[in-house]
Amino acid sequence: MPRRLFNHDGKQGRATLGQAGVLLGAAVLLTAVSWALRPDRLPLRADVAIYDLELAAPLIEVPAALVLYEEGMHIFVDTRPTGPAAASGLAVPGAVPIRPGSFDDDLLEIFDFVGPDDPLVLYDDGGLLGASNIAARLLERGFTDLSIMAGGVAAWQQAGGETSVPAAEREESP
Amino acid sequence: MMRTFTPWLVLACRLGVGGVFLYAAWDKLLHPQAFAQAIHFYHLVPASLLHPWAHLLPVLEIVVGLALVLGLLQRGAALLAGGLTVVFMVAIAAALARGLDISCGCFHTDGGHGVGLELLVRDTVLLAACLPVVFARRGGPGLDDLRRH
Repeated sequence: MPRRLFNHDGKQGRATLGQAGVLLGAAVLLTAVSWALRPDRLPLRADVAIYDLELAAPLIEVPAALVLYEEGMHIFVDTRPTGPAAASGLAVPGAVPIRPGSFDDDLLEIFDFVGPDDPLVLYDDGGLLGASNIAARLLERGFTDLSIMAGGVAAWQQAGGETSVPAAEREESP
Repeated sequence: MMRTFTPWLVLACRLGVGGVFLYAAWDKLLHPQAFAQAIHFYHLVPASLLHPWAHLLPVLEIVVGLALVLGLLQRGAALLAGGLTVVFMVAIAAALARGLDISCGCFHTDGGHGVGLELLVRDTVLLAACLPVVFARRGGPGLDDLRRH
C-alpha cells in the first residue's frame, strides 16, 4: 500500500513523512517560544466554565488586558455596583464607571469622551455576568468594540496591574 | 496517472492551499482567547489541551502555509495540510451530527461562518488540492529545488 500511496516508492513516502515531522516539530517549537514570549498568552490549563457562559462580548485574559492598558488606546470600564455590593474598593486606574443601577446617568456623564466607536474593556468582580450585562446594554446603544476582562480587579492586581481607589469611593470615605 | 501532474498545477495548488492556511491563521494568532472559545464550542478537545491547541494550531497553519507558498518541504507540508483539513472535516461533521449551532472558527474568531455542509464541501476542495502536491513526481518551483542542487 505505501508503494502505491506515494508516487515513487516507500523511500519517497518516508521522506514525505519525515518532512511533515520536521514541520510539525518546528511548529511545536515556535509555539513554545511564542507562548513564552507573548504577554497575552493563555494559561496552559483552561477554565472551561468561563467559556460556557454566554457572554455579550468576547473575553480576554488579564495579560492581554494589561497589554491593552499599556497601549493606552482602550478605555477600561468598571461595571461593579457601588456600595456594599462592591466586592473590592480598588479599581483599574483611569477606569470609567458604568454601573447597572445608574447605567443611563453614567453613560451621560462620560458622553463627552467615550463614544460608540471607542474600544472598551469591561470588568467586574470576576463573575463576568455583571460585565456581560453591561456589555449587552452597551451593544444596544451602538457600542461595537467591547471585550470583557476575565478575573476582575483581583486577577488584575495579582497579575501586577496598577490599582487605585475610585474617586467616588474616596469622596464617600471619612 | 499520478505522475502526470505538471509542476504548474502543483504550484497553483500549493499557492492556493498555502494562502488559505496563512489567511486562516492570522485572526487566530491575534485572538487566542476567542479562538479557544470557538474550539471549546465543538466539545471535542479536553480542557487540558484547549489552550495548547489554541496556541499551536495557528502557528502550525503558518508553518504549513509558508512552506507551501515557498515550496520548502512541500510534500510534507501538503501532507500536514491534508491531515489538518481532515481533522477540521471530522470536527465539522461531528458538530453537524450533534446539531450544534456554532461558529466554525475557521477564519474569524468574532462570530464568522456557522458550521454547515458547505464547509465540508469547501474542505473537500482544499483536501483535493493537497493531493497533487503530495503525489506528484515533480513539485512545482520552490526552495526545494535549491535543496536538491
